[in-house]
Amino acid sequence: MTADAFLFWFLALVTIGGGSLVILMRNPIYSALALVFTMCGVSALFVTLGAYFVAGVQLIVYAGAVMVLFVMVLMLFDLKHEIEAFAKGQISGAIKILSGGLLAGIVGGAILASTKLSSPTDAAGAAVVDPSKALGYKLFTQHIFAFEALGVLLLVIAVGAVALARSKGGTHGQR
Amino acid sequence: MVSADFVMKIGLNHYLILSAILFSLGMVGVLLRRNAIVMLMSIELMLNAVNISFVSFGRYNNNIDGQIMVFFVMTIAAAEAAVGLALAVSIFKRFKEVNVRYFEHLKG
Repeated sequence: MTADAFLFWFLALVTIGGGSLVILMRNPIYSALALVFTMCGVSALFVTLGAYFVAGVQLIVYAGAVMVLFVMVLMLFDLKHEIEAFAKGQISGAIKILSGGLLAGIVGGAILASTKLSSPTDAAGAAVVDPSKALGYKLFTQHIFAFEALGVLLLVIAVGAVALARSKGGTHGQR
Repeated sequence: MVSADFVMKIGLNHYLILSAILFSLGMVGVLLRRNAIVMLMSIELMLNAVNISFVSFGRYNNNIDGQIMVFFVMTIAAAEAAVGLALAVSIFKRFKEVNVRYFEHLKG
């Protein structure tokens, strides 16, 4: 087995195992831990795809910032006694799991059945000389408006999150 | 179906199928779990699955636009997590619980 194939299957195992643990663990803290594993696996998958800068951003933003936010909020709540972690109802639960499996099966079958994709592509031909440089150049020339709009969005979100967390909740409560 | 070729030669298919499986896991998590924060985590899982397919499509078509899209998705995901968690804090203050069972009637 080549190193490439081994790496891919190992990372697939890590990401899918982590993803399953996220939805199976009863304690939300363990779910967050499993999600960190999944994020690291996804970041390593980006490295195997040659997207080094995106892999770094994935580690810093997701596995770093977002997960710290999740864990901090979880610590804020006292959720030692998790009751009814899963939705009730055997039949509806079975239908939900079945629909998830059906979605994966349909999409996977469509991918395998499409002849255009199924030929083992040449390993991405000539890679871009300096991906990060090309990425930055394209981001700041062609997509500059979207970039600036994202900056405005982040400002709005920062203000809105603080305002939302300060409010007492509800619309017709006493202020 | 699992031939030696499928195991040995990693192509675009493999990444896309992995992405589809991760996305379905996230969907099942949103449907099945009752804790609002775990539901948010499942949404993050789905966004990550989409990111994998963006990057792999970009890689196998020699096009870097996929990675730019991933940047935007990541930023939106971080913003969404911040707002979702602020909502969760707000809900917890009022109901002393983040299990969706306790605020499923949308009462004020």
